[in-house]
Amino acid sequence: MTERNDSELSDRFRALRREDAAATPPFDATLAAARARRAARPRHRTGWLAAAAVVVAGVAVALLLTRPDRQAGTIGLATVRWEGPTDFLLVLPGDDLLRTVPHLGRVNLSILSDRRTP
Amino acid sequence: MSPETLELELACLHAAAFGWAIACCAGDRAAAEDALQASYLKILDGRARFDGHASFRTWLFAVVRNTAAELWRRAALRRLLPLAVLDDTSDGRPDAATVLARADASRRLLAALATLPRRQREVLHLVFYQDLTISEAAAVAGVSLGTARTHYERGKAALKKLLKEEPE
Repeated sequence: MTERNDSELSDRFRALRREDAAATPPFDATLAAARARRAARPRHRTGWLAAAAVVVAGVAVALLLTRPDRQAGTIGLATVRWEGPTDFLLVLPGDDLLRTVPHLGRVNLSILSDRRTP
Repeated sequence: MSPETLELELACLHAAAFGWAIACCAGDRAAAEDALQASYLKILDGRARFDGHASFRTWLFAVVRNTAAELWRRAALRRLLPLAVLDDTSDGRPDAATVLARADASRRLLAALATLPRRQREVLHLVFYQDLTISEAAAVAGVSLGTARTHYERGKAALKKLLKEEPE
């Protein structure tokens, strides 16, 4: 094991430790300061929360103010209906028969008129 | 562990913990006191719990190390905020009173240590100053035994070289 096998370094660190020990604050004082810090902590937390809330509110306001007008860019799909130039080819004679419900006992005159056409 | 037992254990290790806190705060005594108070508060409030996996000393040193790092990060953040001018925060360097109070030999040792990488500095401090084994130092620093041993050997060689170069 090579731990602490250097006497010169050990002596230097020991001297440093003696200096620090002489200047160490008393344990009771440190503990009392820690307890005082505990009492003061909620104020800190509240301060941070308030600061965070202000930042969030600021960002929200900035976004609202700088947002582009969404109405100008919208397209009403109901008003735009494109019709192709060859759509008329899809209209067949008698296609009403396929789209409507047939009734028994009633004659569909439009079909009859279609048949009369050459 | 009861609060009374905890306080007794902390009182026994107080001087050693303060020395370690100073090392974690790069020699800044005020920051070290701050870190130690925050560590004690964490322990007494139960936010840091001793689970018995390591020795109490090793665990306490790990708590102090982590707390000092947290405080350093917070201080760094506060320095970046505009209100930092109103807040007397440490900049991570030893205060003037501490530097003046040091003996010449200690000042040289600290100056040499300050040039080493943080891990090497930590392992050397834990082994030579705190009399921990390399294995215990590894547990405190949160690295493997092999890594700690490498930091120890390299750090020791570099420190000896630096101290030899320094005029006596």
